[in-house]
Amino acid sequence: MEPVNERELVERCRRGDEGAFEELVDGYKNLVFALIARTVQDRSRAEDLAQDVFLRIHRGLPYFRGEARLSTWIYRIVANVCIQERGHASADAMISLDDTRATVPTPSGADRQFGDLELRDRLEKAIAQLPAQQRFLVAAHYLQGVRYEDLAEALRMPLGTVKTHLFRAKQQLRRLLEP
Amino acid sequence: MACEEVLESIELIAAGELTISARFAEHLASCTRCGAALDAARRVDALLRSRPTPAPPANFSSRVMSRMRLARWRGEQLLDWGFNVALVTTGVLVVLGLWTVMRQSGLATVSSDAIEMLGPGMMLLVRRISPSLPLYAAATALLGSALAVWWWAERDAAL
Repeated sequence: MEPVNERELVERCRRGDEGAFEELVDGYKNLVFALIARTVQDRSRAEDLAQDVFLRIHRGLPYFRGEARLSTWIYRIVANVCIQERGHASADAMISLDDTRATVPTPSGADRQFGDLELRDRLEKAIAQLPAQQRFLVAAHYLQGVRYEDLAEALRMPLGTVKTHLFRAKQQLRRLLEP
Repeated sequence: MACEEVLESIELIAAGELTISARFAEHLASCTRCGAALDAARRVDALLRSRPTPAPPANFSSRVMSRMRLARWRGEQLLDWGFNVALVTTGVLVVLGLWTVMRQSGLATVSSDAIEMLGPGMMLLVRRISPSLPLYAAATALLGSALAVWWWAERDAAL
């Protein structure tokens, strides 16, 4: 969304224009939902949390001063919601990860597709074991259009720290997925 | 070159965020441990890049709007309730204040005397309006019902 349109939309929302807020929801719902669903991994919980994010946005719009971009402010709210959400590195995820370590996907043949699916499943379980902040960073960094700079601003972290957290997360994932 | 030095940067190399020097490339080509780690890091990076992007349900926006309206209605109700409580409290305080002032200034005694003087007249008035009391009661009940219906319709519209 262009900054000028963004400002205009925020102003209309502040004046109580319901249509403007619906436009805002339509404009950001895919990004917000994808970020949350990738971080918490439980779809129904993700939907509740995504709705909470938009309610927080609605409550917070009168106080949004426009110093940061609207998207950055929204990332910040999503990050807070995701980080506050606890207990998703479930015990069964850890057990399953250990159980499947012995079955490394076959590099070729008819089982390859199944192997890829299994590897993907293990990846999701490995991601669930990461600390909340790293989970959010991994979810956001690999979404199209999300830049390091946006994440640094949203999390109020230096750019280098964001890169280090991401690097550590990927290192951890590689170790968890090693046969 | 030590493997630890290469392994520390393996994620950056896999993501293409670090250009490797000839020394690094030579080590990666000759060391099976570091080569395998680079392959694994590239696989993790590729898996992360190809992670599906979950889409919200079709009625997501309408659900958000419903929740937003409900939250706003609750906020307004709370404000109304607070206003009503403040209004009643102010009324009670004003009456109490007036009564205290009247008592302290002796006006209350004068009022009692006036009531005693007006007593017979009041009794006559009560006697005259008593036959119409059922009519007044019915009118009051009708007005109360109308107000209740109005309040109920307002509440439904706000929802």
